[in-house]
Order: sequence, then C-alpha cells, then structure tokens
Amino acid sequence: MPVYFDHNATTWLDAAVLDAMQSSLAGRYGNPSSLHRFGRVARDAIDRAREQVAALVNAHPGQVVFTSGGTEANNTAVKGLAARSRPGRILLSAIEHPSVLELEEPLKAGGWQVDFVPVTREGIVDLAALQCMLDEGGVRLVSVMAVNNETGVLQPYEAIAGQVRAAGAIYHCDAVQAAGKLSFSYPESGAHILSLSSHKIYGPKGVGALILDKALDIEPLLHGGGHERGLRAGTENMPAIVGFGAAAELAQQQLESRTQHCAGLRDQLEAGLSALPDIRIFGQEQPRLPNTSQFSVPGYDGEALLMALDREGIAVSSGSACSSGKGEPSHVLLAMGIDEQVARGAIRVSLGKDNTGAEVEQFLSILARLTGAQTQQSSGDRFASVMGQ
Amino acid sequence: MAERALYLDYAATTPVDARVAERMRAFLSPDGEFGNPASMQHAYGRVAHDAVEKAREQVASLIGAEAAEIVWTSGATESNNLAIKGVAEAYADRGRHMVTMKTEHKSVVDVCRYLEQQGWRITWLPPQPDGRISTETLAAAINEETVLVSLMLVNNETGVLQDIASIGRLTRERGVLLHVDAAQAVGKMPVDVEHMQTDLLSVSAHKLYGPKGIGALYVRRRPRARLMPQIHGGGHERGMRSGTLPTHQIVGMGEACRIADEAMAKEAERIRALRDRLWQGLSELPEVYRNGSDSHNVAGILNVSFAGVDGEALHAGLSGLAVPLALSSGSACTAASQESSYVLRALGREDELAYASVRFSLGRWTTQDEVDRVITSVQTLVNALRRRSPAWQKDCAGPAPGMGDEHPQYSDAVWRYFTRALAADPSEDEADLVVASDTPGSRARMQLRARIEGGKFVSAEARVYGCVSSLAAGAWLAEYLIGKSPEQLQVTTAEIEQDLQLAPVKRHCALMAEDLLGMISRQARLTVDAAEKVAS
Repeated sequence: MPVYFDHNATTWLDAAVLDAMQSSLAGRYGNPSSLHRFGRVARDAIDRAREQVAALVNAHPGQVVFTSGGTEANNTAVKGLAARSRPGRILLSAIEHPSVLELEEPLKAGGWQVDFVPVTREGIVDLAALQCMLDEGGVRLVSVMAVNNETGVLQPYEAIAGQVRAAGAIYHCDAVQAAGKLSFSYPESGAHILSLSSHKIYGPKGVGALILDKALDIEPLLHGGGHERGLRAGTENMPAIVGFGAAAELAQQQLESRTQHCAGLRDQLEAGLSALPDIRIFGQEQPRLPNTSQFSVPGYDGEALLMALDREGIAVSSGSACSSGKGEPSHVLLAMGIDEQVARGAIRVSLGKDNTGAEVEQFLSILARLTGAQTQQSSGDRFASVMGQ
Repeated sequence: MAERALYLDYAATTPVDARVAERMRAFLSPDGEFGNPASMQHAYGRVAHDAVEKAREQVASLIGAEAAEIVWTSGATESNNLAIKGVAEAYADRGRHMVTMKTEHKSVVDVCRYLEQQGWRITWLPPQPDGRISTETLAAAINEETVLVSLMLVNNETGVLQDIASIGRLTRERGVLLHVDAAQAVGKMPVDVEHMQTDLLSVSAHKLYGPKGIGALYVRRRPRARLMPQIHGGGHERGMRSGTLPTHQIVGMGEACRIADEAMAKEAERIRALRDRLWQGLSELPEVYRNGSDSHNVAGILNVSFAGVDGEALHAGLSGLAVPLALSSGSACTAASQESSYVLRALGREDELAYASVRFSLGRWTTQDEVDRVITSVQTLVNALRRRSPAWQKDCAGPAPGMGDEHPQYSDAVWRYFTRALAADPSEDEADLVVASDTPGSRARMQLRARIEGGKFVSAEARVYGCVSSLAAGAWLAEYLIGKSPEQLQVTTAEIEQDLQLAPVKRHCALMAEDLLGMISRQARLTVDAAEKVAS
C-alpha cells in the first residue's frame, strides 16, 4: 500500500470539505460581485467562509482577505507593505519559505536593504540577533514565520512581535504551517499581518488568505475591480473559498484529536528512528508541529533515498515541495549551521490525520532495509556478494 | 430563492460544465490525485504534474500556442496584472509609455492607473461610436517610448470585437509588444495567437464553463516576450508565477478548453441566433438602442439602453420579477458600485441612458423559450415604467408585470408600493389638480394628479420617473391622499421615511413627496375656496 507522508507539501481534501464544495462546484453559479440572486448566493457563501477562516485564528471576519494561496498572501503582505512605505530596511528570517525569501531581489530593486535574521542550531530565530538588527535602526518591516515548514520548529512569534512593535516596525508572520495545525490566535500572536493557506489543512488548493488590521496601508498585488476591500482584485474563487472555510472549521474542531494522533505517530516514528544508527533528528528538543519530523541519514544522498522510498511507494520530501527537484540542500538546515553533507541526507516526514501506526512501521522497516543496503554498498566485497546472489 | 432566476449573465461567469466538474472531482477526493504538482520526488506529485501538463496542452491547443507558452495564474485579472506590470518592469529601460483603450476591463484600467502613479505615461484611446478602434488612431499613438499596447479582443460589456489581427501586424512592424485580454473571447470564437501576432494573451476559465480561480497567460517564446514575475517564491511556471498549482482547477480549465474546441463553432452559431432573436424582440419597443457594433461582435452579448426609464428602477424591476432575470448593467466587477458604465459613456452614451442599460449575455444553456420569456418580461416591465413616467407620451400599453413579493435591496414597504405603482394603469380622466416636483438635475421627476369632490380627494395618482423609492413614494402619496380633505394633509418627511422604511440615501424621495403634498394642499384649498365663492 502506498504511504503518504508529505502533508506539509499538500493534503488531500477532507470528505466533509468536498461535500461543502459540491454544490458550488457545479450547481449554483454566480459571480459574487453580481447584484442578482445568483451573485448574492455566492456572496453569502463567501461571507460564511470568511467567518470560519477568521474563527480559526481568532480574528474578525472583516480582517480576512482571500488570495490564491499562501504564496500570493506572502507576496502581497511583504511587497504590498513595502510599496506603501518609504524604502528602508527589511528583515527576513533565514529560514523563511521561498515565497518570502525570493522577494529579496524585487525588494532590493525597490531600494530596500534586505537583511537576514540568523537562527540557532535548533532552528529558532535568534532573538538577540534580531534585537541587535532592530537597534541598528531603519527597520520598517520584519517577516518571520510562525512555524518552519521543514523542521516543524515553532518560532517565538509573540516575543518577535514585541520586539518588532517596540522598534516601531510592522511584523508579517507566515502562519501557513501553523494555522489549523496548532492553536494560533491572531490577536495574541502580536503580528500585524498573517498569511494562511487552505491546502495544508485538508482544504482545496488555489486559495489562501491574509489576516490583517484594517489600518494597515498595503498596495494590492492584483489591481482591478475592487474585490476584497480593494486589496485583492479578481473574481472570487468561490468553491475553493467555501472549501477553505469548511476546512478551517474542521481543523478547529479536530485540533486536539489531530494533534494527539499525529504526535503519537511522530513519537513512534522517532523512537523507531533512534534505533537506526547515526540518524539525526532536527529540532527534536524544541516545541514543534506535532506532525513533522525532519531527520538525516548520514552519508546518504537525500535525493537517492527519496527515489528509493518512492519506488517502495512511500511519499516523503527532502524539504519544501516548492524547491524540490533542484537537488540543492535545504536552506533551512544550512541556516541552522548543519553540515552540507548532513543536510543533503535530509528527509522530511510530515504526517496527517489519516495516517496509521502500521504505515509508520512500514516506513521504518523500509528505511532500515534501504539504509542497510547503503552500508553494503559502501563496502565493496559485501556489495559484490549481494549482487552475486 | 423562491423561483429559480433566468440566468442571462454568462459574461460575468458561467456555470461549470458537468464534464468539467467530473474531471475536477477526481483531483479533489481523498482517494484521488491530490498530490502537489511540485512534489516531483514521489508518485503523488508526478501524477498531479502530468495532469497539469496535459491541461497545459489543452489550453495551448485552443489558442494555437505551444504548451510551453502557457503560464497558469489565478484568473484573467492576475493574467492582466502579470502581463502589464511584468512587461513594465522588464522593459522600463526601453521607454515608459503604453497604449490602451478607455473601454478596457477594470483589471487593465486599474493596472494602467497604478503605472501612471509610478511615472508611466498611458495613452487612453477613445473608441469609435461602435466601440472599435481604428488602426490609424492606434498607429498615431505609438512612439519611440512605447513598449506595450494592451487591448481587449472582445469587450465584456458590449461584446464588441476588435480587429486584433491588423493591430498585431502594426505592433509587430513597430517593434512594440501586444497584450490582448481575451477573457471574453477564448472558447466563444476562434482565437489564434499566430494569426493575431500577439505577444501576450489573457485567458479565464470561468468564462468558458471552467472553474473560478484559474486562468492563464500566453507568453510568446519566438520572438520572446520577457516578463518580470509578480508573485515570487519557489520558481513554479518557469519562474514567471510562483505558488502551488491548484491541480483540480487546472485540470478543469483544460477540460473546459477541450470541450470548447469541440463545441465552439456550432455553439456560437446557435447562441448568435438566439441573441439576434432577443434583439429583434426588444427592438419592438420604441426608443431602445443597441450599444456597440452590429457587425463586429461576439455571439453571446447584447447591450441595450432603454430611453424613458430610470436605470435603478429598471434593474430592480428585472431582478424583482416573479421569475427574476439574473443579468447585469455591465461588468460584474463594477456592479457593486452603482455608477453608470464607463464603457458606455466612452461610446458617447449620456449618463442617464448609460445608466438605463442592460447587458444580456447568453450561453451554453440558454434556450429559445428562455429568450422569448425574457423578451416578454422586459417589454412588459419597460412599458409599465414608461406608463408611470410623467414625460413618456408614446404608446406603452400592456399588461402589468408579474412581480415577486420582495427584493433584498429594498424594505418591504418600498417594494410593496413599487409593485403597486407598476400594476396601476394611468387613468384617462382629467385631473382637477396637477402638481409636480423634481430633484436637482431632474434625476427623478414626480407628478401628483388628483380630483376633489365635496371637499375631499376622491382620486389621486402619481406619475414618476425615477428610482424604486421614488415610485414607491408616489404610490404611497396617492394612497394617502384619497378620502382626506386638504386641511388633513399634515405629514412630515420623517413620517414618510418611517412609513416606507426608506434608506437614508433615499431621503430626497420623501422630500419630493412632502413638497407635492404641500403644493396640492394649497392648490386644493384655492380650488375649494373658488368653488365656494361661485356657489355663494
């Protein structure tokens, strides 16, 4: 049986989410901006979803702006705030998602100085370093994620918000991997603006959201038509938005059971991993997402290991799906000061609510077999004897 | 929804074809192909990736492009944003001038306005009265600084078709890039990027029976059009547009394009015949005007202005019929703001007539029976509104329109009096007393006619040209008057507002009513006094 352990890349749709989307997929149609009844039905459905998504992070429905996904949300937040501000300094953590990190070039082109906040060996943003950078002055915007997508390590966003606010700057927090996976409250986080995504929490792809204070001055990324309070133009992707709303509500309802289930599987996985020689688990001692475990099999090429696992029907990742296939070691692990050779052997397992203990056992035994084969490969005569059989 | 409305708003959005929805479901269900197309290291991702690539070929094939020239976006608005801002950033060193038209879609207009703020010079070409642009006018607007011409193939409000092939020859000759917003054209008529010599072309899925939230931008490879990405991170879509690809939506768009490719020719012929039938029926009414071009247009769109009726009353009436009509005054994107269409004003329609305009857009499931019902409904309603108007003299007899019991945009009282006003036939009798009032600019005109016998009003009737609330106020006024003596007429604006539960922005309707009441009371007392003098 194939095993899917890549839930931080994307999840399938929960059956209840699909149910919620069914009627809007093919049945009732209408452009939510149209004034007639079809349009109003669509608008009501969107407003309901807005409430559900707001509730997930304890925000007000009026603070939700729907986007085409987390990447667009991150781009809108960082580029949009920068566009309405006098150019100055912007701080990004070194372990941000590519959709934040890759804004370095356009920001520089716009006259901004972009600096990267380092992280500790445990994968946590270095608060002392952040304070030094803020003290140097001129910082207008800071972007640090709530939870890292590769290691699952929780970032001290409340402390960061305190420091950033004290320095008079704006704090954007990419909460794509946090919202719906652990208890996360917009007002308590202290962030000015959040990015969310639907397809990481059993909702559809193609939809995400910004949560932001109405007072924030932000240039839209997409112009034309004045949808979403003028912050995001384009006909609303109604079925996906409805799906996102349903997924958000489910995630909130099932937060505890999902957390317990995933944490149990993760602990089972990591107990099994510790029995294998030399396996190193990143950020294991830190508060982490319950579903994520990133580890390295030393001396092993991660890409080759992924391919071998794939042949066995096991879907895992080396890091972010967005940069997979590039054959480069994880920028997150390198930022943590992990040796490049070790980083190249990294595997990320991200579990889901429907995974089972049997799947974890299956994975562990296949991994043991594959890494065992590796040991044989490194020893010439034993390799030959295996081939001879 | 009491009665399912008749849908004539296919240009705003189309329902998803059942075959498209079926394909999409396979990528949504938990046991389906849910993988992230970027997760190339495992089978889930590769299956999704292959599906995305197949859809890319289907979209490319419909517009005569190569698959590698298609970039997925979240919709035509994003496609337009990416094309125009992407070119602006990539070619700014060559010049900072663009040419577009006044009648473009909001998403082009707003992007160009944004660029103006950034120091770009934009030439806004006015259309000819038929909505088209002449290549001579365009040629004259291009100069050494020009980097991009952005024009729509089919206008979303009028359906007017531009001669893009000639324009493409011109821009190619002059070494200027051409972007075409083809959101209303693709899937409705043949579109070929080679024939049109366009460099960039925006496509939307939800206008061609595909899902919302997905679109594409065609980006020419030879000669290559360069773009600066607007959404960064992860390098999806060859670096031109980052973000996890929504597999189900992409697959849906591919399937919608495949179906369009197959069905388009016959479908356009059928829809064009229905559209012509609709126009023929509506033009039986006097003083109706078709907006746009009679000869150069897409099959499904008909835009008509109705003289002698107020735009708000017309639209509220159409959407408040017992069998409501779902249609639009123009673009859905601007529907929420109650202004008259900038597209129609650019064609030279004066404000009042532009406001009293309706865009009918027909599509795959429009039937002849529906068209016939629409003709009858519109004729009946327009006649009823004209009958109530103090200015309309021409023939407008006919039955009362069948109205629904409520309208979500109006209070129950306003709606009840409005439908009562529509149902009443103007009396042929001579009135003893006639008073009139209007709002500044004559956006609303109200006339009150009454007869008085034995010191009491025995009949009263209001004739109103104006919004729903003013028609309601007129009907309320007439009802209030009957049975009262001139001395008994003592009502304040606040009481009228309260009785009708008028929205604050409609206070002027109550003011007009109060004015008329005062006037008719004074006139009636004069009449009564005169009558008494004669008697004595």
